[in-house]
Amino acid sequence: MTRVSLTVNGQRVSAEVEGRTLLVQLLREHLRLTGTHVGCDTSQCGCCTVHLNGKGVKSCTVLAASCEGATVTTIEGLAPEGKLHPMQEAFREHHALQCGFCTPGMIMSAVDMVRRKGNELDEHTVREQLEGNICRCTGYHNIVKAIQAGAVAMKRT
Amino acid sequence: MAQPARSSRIGEPVRRKEDLRLITGAGCFSDDVSLPGQAYAVMVRSPHAHARLRSIDAGKALTVPGVIAVLTGHDLLADGLKPIPHRPFSPHPADIPLANTDGTPMFTAPHHALVIDKVRHVGEALAMVIAETIAAAKDGAEAVEVDYELLPAVANTAAAARPDAPRLFENARSNVCLDAEAGDGKATAAAFACAAHVVRFETWIPRVTGVPMEPRAAVGAYDASIGHYTLHAGTSGAWRTKMDLAIMLGVAEDAVRVVTRDVGGHFGTRGMLYAEFALVVWAARRAGRPVKWTCERHEAFATDYQGRDLVVEAELALDKDGRFLAMRGSNISNAGGHTTNFSPLRKGVEIMSTIYRVPAAHFRARGIVSNTAPTRPYRSSGRPEVIYVMERLIDLAARQCGFDRVELRRRNLVTAAEMPYTNPFGMIYDSGDYPGVMEKALTLGDWAGFPARRAEARARGKCRGIGVANYVDTASGVPRERAEMTVHPDGTVDVIIGTVSTGQGHETSFAQLVTEWLGVPFDKVRILTGDTEFVRFGGGTHSGRGMRLASIVIWGASRKIIEKGKRIAALLLECEPGTVEFRDGLFARPGAGRTVSLFDVARGARDLLDLSQDLRGPLAAIADETVSVAQFPYGCQVAEVEIDPELGTLEIVRYTAVDDVGRAVNPAIIHGQVHGGIAQGVGQALLEQCYYDPDTGQLLSGSFMDYAMPRADNFPFFNTEYVEIPSPTHPLGMRPAGEGGTAPALGVMINAIADALSEFGVRHVEMPATPERIWRAIREARGSAGERRR
Repeated sequence: MTRVSLTVNGQRVSAEVEGRTLLVQLLREHLRLTGTHVGCDTSQCGCCTVHLNGKGVKSCTVLAASCEGATVTTIEGLAPEGKLHPMQEAFREHHALQCGFCTPGMIMSAVDMVRRKGNELDEHTVREQLEGNICRCTGYHNIVKAIQAGAVAMKRT
Repeated sequence: MAQPARSSRIGEPVRRKEDLRLITGAGCFSDDVSLPGQAYAVMVRSPHAHARLRSIDAGKALTVPGVIAVLTGHDLLADGLKPIPHRPFSPHPADIPLANTDGTPMFTAPHHALVIDKVRHVGEALAMVIAETIAAAKDGAEAVEVDYELLPAVANTAAAARPDAPRLFENARSNVCLDAEAGDGKATAAAFACAAHVVRFETWIPRVTGVPMEPRAAVGAYDASIGHYTLHAGTSGAWRTKMDLAIMLGVAEDAVRVVTRDVGGHFGTRGMLYAEFALVVWAARRAGRPVKWTCERHEAFATDYQGRDLVVEAELALDKDGRFLAMRGSNISNAGGHTTNFSPLRKGVEIMSTIYRVPAAHFRARGIVSNTAPTRPYRSSGRPEVIYVMERLIDLAARQCGFDRVELRRRNLVTAAEMPYTNPFGMIYDSGDYPGVMEKALTLGDWAGFPARRAEARARGKCRGIGVANYVDTASGVPRERAEMTVHPDGTVDVIIGTVSTGQGHETSFAQLVTEWLGVPFDKVRILTGDTEFVRFGGGTHSGRGMRLASIVIWGASRKIIEKGKRIAALLLECEPGTVEFRDGLFARPGAGRTVSLFDVARGARDLLDLSQDLRGPLAAIADETVSVAQFPYGCQVAEVEIDPELGTLEIVRYTAVDDVGRAVNPAIIHGQVHGGIAQGVGQALLEQCYYDPDTGQLLSGSFMDYAMPRADNFPFFNTEYVEIPSPTHPLGMRPAGEGGTAPALGVMINAIADALSEFGVRHVEMPATPERIWRAIREARGSAGERRR
């Protein structure tokens, strides 16, 4: 067992983990932050996407023990003051979710996409950049629209 | 009382109530539930498709630190657990019966939650390891030693149907469990005898799987003091799961509670109880503490109920003018390793002629078992398969006989004047403007402008093709539903109903109904589902029955509330009950200018002392209805593709869908359903397949790295529209909208691809039409054309 200390959603936390414990397990099971989901076991689906030191990562592919001193933001921490993040708001406005299981990962990926690609995202860019996030409900139509709108809204705030 | 906002009534694209929790990570999916003191279960699964189970040795596993118990099929039998109570056919009277032609009963066999003596598909669970942590349970599962006697396996549908195929069940005559006929053989033969043209098409609609993004998970608990079981799990209906669990456990219905909260997709895969659901509650009793199991994706690929897998041989007879005379053929549906469900076989064969006027038809319909995962209805059960066959037959007929594809459809579509129309299998289509909807789709998809776009693409070296496909869908399923509505004096309305939303947004669209009919604020309506503690009956969510049946029972309960309310309002307004009017949430005494609100009346029902017995207590009503007629949504899709002939790669460049939804409650939700439905249909047409090695039954597509899921860059934006022609068989005119996106998508995609490749002489490409298949089809056609030239 290893003790790991990190900052999650602005809070200092510390936990005893096994060498094989994944970041997503630390978040879901130790910290009970269940908004980050596990949709697969091969890092394909993107449901577990969080921000690690400001960058989007699939938390099922990161060992918890490697996160010593790291800063992690999960979907629960995206809107700390109770006000929705513009990307969350855009997903709601554009009916970009149905069952909602892939949604936290989609939103975290979308915010990271804006960081990497800017606020003016054309359809082609959004679709290419969403390669690592799978949705089964929406046919991606409204997700793409929401990300484009959310990216523009992020510029305004 | 505040007037309800116009924007929350029927017909408005209201923002969804459920979204706030889902976009903030505050949803509660099955794996988010944890109970104090819970242990963890991991299944020991067979790596072989067909094997006799000689022995299971749990000795080493029990020495692994943290392992509490290892349970096997023999423990399950010793405790009297019954098999999973599969129902091979859904119980709706509108569907045609299918029975063995020779009069013998259909073969079914018990499906136990753990293998007793013989493994019948890869991934079947043989034992369950219970441990203090998931990691310990996994270590324990690896240490369980299983001795198998390997048997020859059969996975391929046509091969499994042969009399000499390896047999799954020794007490069956063969793997064919059901061998039925539908339609009129004699009339069909007579029609074929005088046909000017006969077109033949043989195909296999491959096995796919639903892949809800949330893998299954379940937590079982047992209260020994009262002998009561609780299951927390994602289901498509808590009440039916509870009833099935009670049967398996051999206990009274009230000894079981099922709780379903947020469900991460369904698509048919969650339509029946899973073995693991029964195992966790049973294990909780054995272990004396809650037991949790979470499915991993590789397990889901091996053990979720899968879909499709139909072998079809079909012929269409036409007269010299292209009028359809008859169709005939044979369908073989693969139920997988257990006799779980033959509903897709029936749902398909009964509308084999789909939306077209076909005077005579005859099909043989066989249901078989094979060494593959069990199947059951998957989004639009059985229909996408047969619609694909019919739409391909029409395009093949057009090309073979020199007809225009669209003209051929126009000539044979059932018209509004022919409604209600009885198809050659006996299904009665209620109503609709089939030709009008097709014309609308052709216009939206700019069919007329296609030649110019094709020429432009050709100048860039691309082959562009366009396809059209119509569909009709039989919405039947469990015919009974129940709603319990209570108006509270605090200004809220609760509706308890037995459906479960698995992404369809029932909390929103059902609340819109209540807002419309009771005139109460949208945000004061609560839709309560998914917990058998208060849900007393419910058919669940499948077969386009959510809004279709919920609207009927919510309408019924609303009317009862208003009638009861008028009698109470009469006392408050001091007038005759017969004169009270109800509008926008207010009861009024005409002429007097006096009103009381629905919530005033609810307070009156609670507080007034001089009420008659039947009016006292909460202002509540129950509507419990059985709807024995089916509804028939229908529509048309037009798709356009561009293919790179050197690479075989494909891009969908336009996609248009028009659906008749009868009456739209929430347009945003309807369009969303169509978008997702299209993606699932296109996924099957272009990408997806559960690959089983035909010789060993080994699953080769056990992860997202092997099973090709549709991604965002597979699609363009879709152009979806709907029309609202009220269904005369639904009291509010509604037609379901959840399956129409999928039903024609297989056919429209392959029609578009075949059109794009027509210049090479390619007749057909089987699904999934991968770049490799397209590339090979072009190369083979070019090769044979070259040979002809020589």
